[in-house]
Amino acid sequence: MIQLVAITDDQSAPAPPLRAVACDGLTAICAPVDEAPTDAESLWRHEELVESLMETRDLLPVRFGTLLPDDDAVAHAVRERVGQLAGQLERVRGAIEIAVRIRDRASSPLSGRGVTSGTDYMRLQAERVRSAQAIHDELSALARDSTILPGPELMRAAYLVDRCDVDELVACVRRLQGANADLDLICTGPWPPYSFAEAERS
Amino acid sequence: MKDKVLAAPTDLDPLAAQSPRLENALSRRINADPESVERGLVQLVLTIVELLRQLMERQALRRIDIGSLSEEQIERLGKTFMELDRRMQELRDEFGLDEEDLNLDLGPLGRLL
Repeated sequence: MIQLVAITDDQSAPAPPLRAVACDGLTAICAPVDEAPTDAESLWRHEELVESLMETRDLLPVRFGTLLPDDDAVAHAVRERVGQLAGQLERVRGAIEIAVRIRDRASSPLSGRGVTSGTDYMRLQAERVRSAQAIHDELSALARDSTILPGPELMRAAYLVDRCDVDELVACVRRLQGANADLDLICTGPWPPYSFAEAERS
Repeated sequence: MKDKVLAAPTDLDPLAAQSPRLENALSRRINADPESVERGLVQLVLTIVELLRQLMERQALRRIDIGSLSEEQIERLGKTFMELDRRMQELRDEFGLDEEDLNLDLGPLGRLL
């Protein structure tokens, strides 16, 4: 069985045990596996593989656990949607993903502040939403693309950032953290462009 | 994983409490002992309540923005949301659920909240 790791148009051979399967100008990078991996450790291994490939290539990360029986099946799967994949690859070329989570610093931000009036509660609620939106707007301006992701935080967002602009975005996060003492801004990356490689978004 | 953090408050472990969640996400087995069935049911009910709460709160904020609510209505709504928020927190604590638990993975449709 073969696990798909990434789709790229980079021609260089990946380090073993990874293999490249060429199909119509694109390359599917695959890892041989014995059985369907389901534990957290193999998920991290998959992530490490994608990240090491990402250092020198533009790529579309493939969802963890995508298994195919053999090279022919891989080539067939890629060939079926080669145009779409090439378009997506173009979209993320030269960029990586940075994730930012915005949380309230206090565990119960509103009741904790001794808010008793309903009007104050609604006003503070609106302020929280506005601050998060303002942060997102500022970071989005530095990114090629951005998306808000579902999550329990005040906001969870992903930014598609040109590799050369990453430092600038991180510096902006630090500055915004300084300006928003009641919020926690957690910025992680660089990640493979997971949030910008979905088929539905093309 | 630590080296993936590019910026975060220094007094915070940004990835704490993520690992057990990862294990849960990967395990598709259903644990069917009586206690966890009850917890699962509570989790489902609270998820729906949380969804409605968030939708209503967003709608209320929008209506305040466009000025279609009277001061009295805003006060009453705010009080209601505040009370609901407090009760939800109590129920979450009681059943050992956190905010992330009150969500549903709808497969290809994404997450509920």
